Amino acid sequence: MKHSFVDRYANLDSPLHLLEARTKIVGFSALIFTVLFVHPETLGQFFAFFFLMAILAGISQIPMQYLFGRAFVLLPFVLLAGIALPWRGNEGWTWFLALMFRSILCLLMLVLLTNTTRFIELLRGLRKLGCPKILVANLSFLYRYLFVLTDEVMRMRQARDSRRVGRAGVLRELRTLGSMLGTLLVRSFARADHLYEAMLSRGFHGEFPVSDPRRFSWRDFAFISVVALFVAAMVHR
Amino acid sequence: MVPVMGVLSAFVFAAQMLNFPVFGGTSGHLLGGALLGILLGPLGGLMTMATVIVAQALFLQDGGILALGANVFNMGALPVFFGYAVFRMLGSPQRPGKALGFLGFFVGWASVVISASVCALELGISGAVPLKIGLPAMAGFHAVLGVVEGALTAGVLSFLARVRPDLIRGDSGARFGLADWIGGFVMVAIPVGILVLAGASKLPDALQSLLAGVPGSAKPAANLLSAGRYTDYGVVLYCAILLLFVVAYLAARAGQNRRGGP
Repeated sequence: MKHSFVDRYANLDSPLHLLEARTKIVGFSALIFTVLFVHPETLGQFFAFFFLMAILAGISQIPMQYLFGRAFVLLPFVLLAGIALPWRGNEGWTWFLALMFRSILCLLMLVLLTNTTRFIELLRGLRKLGCPKILVANLSFLYRYLFVLTDEVMRMRQARDSRRVGRAGVLRELRTLGSMLGTLLVRSFARADHLYEAMLSRGFHGEFPVSDPRRFSWRDFAFISVVALFVAAMVHR
Repeated sequence: MVPVMGVLSAFVFAAQMLNFPVFGGTSGHLLGGALLGILLGPLGGLMTMATVIVAQALFLQDGGILALGANVFNMGALPVFFGYAVFRMLGSPQRPGKALGFLGFFVGWASVVISASVCALELGISGAVPLKIGLPAMAGFHAVLGVVEGALTAGVLSFLARVRPDLIRGDSGARFGLADWIGGFVMVAIPVGILVLAGASKLPDALQSLLAGVPGSAKPAANLLSAGRYTDYGVVLYCAILLLFVVAYLAARAGQNRRGGP
């Protein structure tokens, strides 16, 4: 079955893609942290951030449409959070705009990060940066099994829909859904057991090896320098 | 343990595709915190929920990176520990029936309301949304939404009791260990701390004087961050979030050592 997953442009070949995962994690985290402390009234700083994002997005070769599509999907939630602000007068408007800018910028940065780094490399970078082994292992299992279980859900939904006509009552609907979830759960457990036995018998010791890892190069140095200069300029004012 | 947690993380993700139409165009789905607490125990459940929340922040840009501490606490630790604690204290009914259904419903519903209320408290002390408005709105809205979570939790538990009763933990006989105590402490101490802070912030600038009281901490922070008046509270909130994250990490680590690693 077909999946439209979110790191679909991670296999491109741009200079941003060629960076080591750690560089990108540290760099984008620093940028995200900085943008949260931009003063609401200094619009110029927000535009500097947008300018930097535009350059990075251009380098990354990810289609603009996709980039903004993903960034704007979540905007309704932000709108909901900030909906009361404009009623506080002029200052409220400033805060509201700042909230919008910050959210869009953070989203853009995260979309860029996840779409320029293969997921397995992202995890490897997190691990090397000291993220707990168990969390990284969990995330990689999640990534591998997401597609399998999503297929399972699609099949189950198809099976349910082809066995009934129209909609049942609320109570019955809930009971069906509960049973479906239960079935999915039992199958997941069984799968996990089989999987673990198979992995143990093949020598699994808690970490996944990565083929063709990126190396630290002059590109990483350049990227980190640019980010550091930018952050310093923003904080110094 | 690791593959079970990993696959169950994927399960939570996939289960959220199974929507249940509520009123209008909206739909509810399983959040799964309380359920995972009952099935995996407090630490396994917490790790699984933490993985789901981290993955949502990374993949779907949903929830945010800097709010991870708060999110993992609100949507991970609270419902998981709550579900586990209730089933542990009351003892899980082993056979399908009204008792199991009712208990499952209560745990699922209450876990959602608790998460929402604590979130409102946190928003209250951060100064983003006044507690007087936020708490009734969040608790009330989620008291309705929680019905779906309760019904689905009850449904899944009843199904499991029929098919694989061994999966429902509840009274498995183990005694309270170190990790359970840490978890219990976090569960009690943080809300109390939040309440105390919220009470303190009603006095004019109590938090600011608190910050100013620590020599050298308030001034550089104010200069470096250079934002308006609400970062004074923001700094406290971020420290609290950081603290939550560290405590959650230590608890998870203690549990991992106790279970002998992956």
